[in-house]
Amino acid sequence: MKRLLSSITDGKGFDIALVAFPLGYLFLMSGLPLLYNVVMSFQEVDMFSLGSFWRPFVGLKNYRDLFAQPETLPILYNTGIFVAASIAGQFLLGFGLALFFWTNFPGASWLRGLFLVSWVMPGLVVGAIWNWILSGDFGVLNFLLRETGIIDGNIFWRSDPNFSLWAVIIANIWLGMAFNMILLSVGLSAIPKDLYEAAELDGANAFQRFWTITLPMMRSTIGAIISLGLIFTLQQFDLFAAITSGGPNNSSNVTQYWAWDLSFRQYDFAKGATISVIMIVFVMFASVVYVRSTRHEVRG
Amino acid sequence: MSETMRNRLMLATAIVLAAIYLFPLYWMYITALKTGSAMFATPPQFWPSDPQWHIYGDVWQSRNVGRYLANSLLIACGAVALICVLGVGCAYVLARYRNVWVDIGLFLILMLQVLPASLMITPIFVGFSQIGLLASPRFAVILAIAAKSMPFFVVLVRATFMSVPQELEEAALVDGNSRIGAFWHIVLPLARNGILVSAILIFMQAFGEFVYSKSIIQAVELQPASVGLNSFMGPNTNEWNNIMAYATMYVTPILAIFVLLQRRIVSGLTSGALK
Amino acid sequence: MTLQIELSGVNKYYGAFHALKNIDLAIEKGSFVALVGPSGCGKSTLLRSLAGLESISTGDLRIAGDLMNSVPPRKRDVAMVFQTYALYPHMTVEQNLTYSLRIRGASKAEMKKAAAEVAATTGLSALLGRYPRELSGGQRQRVAMSRAIIRNPKAFLFDEPLSNLDAALRVHMRKEIRMLHDRLGATSVYVTHDQIEAMTMADHVVVMRDGIIEQQGRPLDLYDRPANKFVAGFIGSPAMNFIPATVGADGLSLVTHVGEPQTIVLDRALDPGRTVTAGLRPEHLHAVDAGQGTFRFPVGIVETTGSATYISTATAPEITIVDTARRSIRAGDVVELSIRPSDVHVFDADTGIRL
Repeated sequence: MKRLLSSITDGKGFDIALVAFPLGYLFLMSGLPLLYNVVMSFQEVDMFSLGSFWRPFVGLKNYRDLFAQPETLPILYNTGIFVAASIAGQFLLGFGLALFFWTNFPGASWLRGLFLVSWVMPGLVVGAIWNWILSGDFGVLNFLLRETGIIDGNIFWRSDPNFSLWAVIIANIWLGMAFNMILLSVGLSAIPKDLYEAAELDGANAFQRFWTITLPMMRSTIGAIISLGLIFTLQQFDLFAAITSGGPNNSSNVTQYWAWDLSFRQYDFAKGATISVIMIVFVMFASVVYVRSTRHEVRG
Repeated sequence: MSETMRNRLMLATAIVLAAIYLFPLYWMYITALKTGSAMFATPPQFWPSDPQWHIYGDVWQSRNVGRYLANSLLIACGAVALICVLGVGCAYVLARYRNVWVDIGLFLILMLQVLPASLMITPIFVGFSQIGLLASPRFAVILAIAAKSMPFFVVLVRATFMSVPQELEEAALVDGNSRIGAFWHIVLPLARNGILVSAILIFMQAFGEFVYSKSIIQAVELQPASVGLNSFMGPNTNEWNNIMAYATMYVTPILAIFVLLQRRIVSGLTSGALK
Repeated sequence: MTLQIELSGVNKYYGAFHALKNIDLAIEKGSFVALVGPSGCGKSTLLRSLAGLESISTGDLRIAGDLMNSVPPRKRDVAMVFQTYALYPHMTVEQNLTYSLRIRGASKAEMKKAAAEVAATTGLSALLGRYPRELSGGQRQRVAMSRAIIRNPKAFLFDEPLSNLDAALRVHMRKEIRMLHDRLGATSVYVTHDQIEAMTMADHVVVMRDGIIEQQGRPLDLYDRPANKFVAGFIGSPAMNFIPATVGADGLSLVTHVGEPQTIVLDRALDPGRTVTAGLRPEHLHAVDAGQGTFRFPVGIVETTGSATYISTATAPEITIVDTARRSIRAGDVVELSIRPSDVHVFDADTGIRL
């Protein structure tokens, strides 16, 4: 007992005690649910069996049923579009802004930081604002597009199946762009200035310097940011809840919203768990890429 | 072109860009001051001719905004307190050692960080209902948010601890302090700023949390402001001035904190995300 | 003489890596011991083991007669001066100095008095209210030293304390530390990679390599009678010249194998025909007038500093000569040399052990 006590005040016991409680908590609150998710995806779970621990085991039936449903493939397709378009928009606009602010003028860093307000706002508030901006007859975006002559008639962003997914994508790009920009700015400022001076003396113009120095030097940063973008985009739920609720007719539905919808609107917890398992596998894959690219960042 | 001319031009461009980017926020504040007819006018008014300040009071009363915000505050404070108590020590240990176990622990934590809340809520809800936690729903939400946000907090705070030289702690040990004493007197005070910034970031996240609260808290009087806002926005609502007033009251405290601590928040965030 | 620090059979493993190999070391009370060696030789690990910041794997470690193997640092009553100084940045100089007293529960008045006393002896009196970031490098160094002095510990441990100072200040602080040590009658263990610091400051020098004590003893003993080729090359500046050679048929001379075979006279007998390495210190090689020396080499490069001239020969291996007599020797000349037989070191060609 005395040895144990002195280990906690003076030795490794102190470290072990500090790390054991949080890891235990995380295992209890994240690890177990993760495993439980997998178990439920092989079970029949409905409102009646919700409270019992022993539920009928149905093998791969949930997975088969899921892929037999007509909306599954369109929703997976939507998810792909949502992820690709969001990341592309966030990254390209964010990179452009980062390059602009990189030119470094008085006030640059403060103004740049201001952009990050979009990221700290509650997702539901962002969704509500964009819901109003994108409204069909009275939305300010439609007004601006009409005035500048880009469109003739109003676009019904939220209720037109051709546009509903893009309504959420626009909001999501606005939400995540600043975060991309800040991280890219960090990567840009880490490139030594004398590399550019050397390249300039070697006769490279601004465009060549960008291609031969900036991009290669930023490779691991870009890898980290794109995989982070993938992770954040697959976590995006609030905007769907606030703008389209996945409608109309699933035209803007994506897996992370659908999983919740199946469980909490249709009370089909087994299906919700099944789709969750599939998506979590994807997210974990992305996070492995992220961890690898940040490691490189640290050691490189 | 002279240096000052160039700087002024760049600054002007930057301000225009920021104005475009922040227009949605402006639109929220403006809409909250419009009458019903001004709101639906074509062309829309970009400056309210007749600001309706009373909308705030009306919405505060009719939508019980005070109660919603109190619930949000309670949930966010609870989650931040739990995360700080558990996460600070964990981050410290992960920063202090460099071996294969730490790498594994860090990898697991990063993995947990990426799990989407909307995918994890199904097993959490079913599990919580089975062990009876749904009877105290706000506490259940605090537990769930803490598990969701702690990995992010640990990663950020770990970066802070890494910047505290280990010699300082060793000097304290040789000076006669125990591990606990050295941690408490030397390491914690030096990491205080980073921990504070990380806690504020976590607080902002928890203050706006939606999925867990929406799924777990059924009783209206216990719901946080995000759920309240969601139920305010029916499918065919036309009360946009009231909704924007609600959103304004919800988001302005967060924006105020952010603008005040902007520099620290940005640097704290970037040190953790890429390292 | 009482022993203040005593190590016997100490080993330290980091996983499979054997960092300290069977270390035996006895440090007398009041002595100044320098641990010196190239980086990675285990000298810092040894010092940190004395402090308790590393635990030793096997063996015994005693401080003032008490077994300290598993005693935590705070109960060992030793003070350490770190390479980076490790001043607490959120405390003033005075708070830094009295931190250890505060932990031991000293009263405010006691702490103030102790801080004032120590600050007076180290010239910090005017700086007590400042924070570490407001001090210069030399001042920080003094604070780190004062923080150790104030405790009157059983031993002072120094971990390369001068390596962050510029050259002039380093020479000055060298003397100051040694004077402080003498005045306090303290026991000090001083880690450095700079053999000049070790030679000038210490009563007892311990040369380490790859976790092993290669040789220990008084500075001049190490210089005059290095136990092996490593110590011979490490102690002394510029470094000793090593020349492949064979013992002559009479056993009382060496035949060198650099360029033309030439003969160097020995003052002791060795096995004739044995292959050896001759060690000649640059300052023991004297350039002499033609016909008076015993051997000669073509000159490669001549560097002049004013007080001494460094002559490097155009041979392989290169031989360095320090000449203080201002001879007009130029590149391309042939220099004729002499050496006293007692200054010739001879090492076994394979093991490097002194013969």
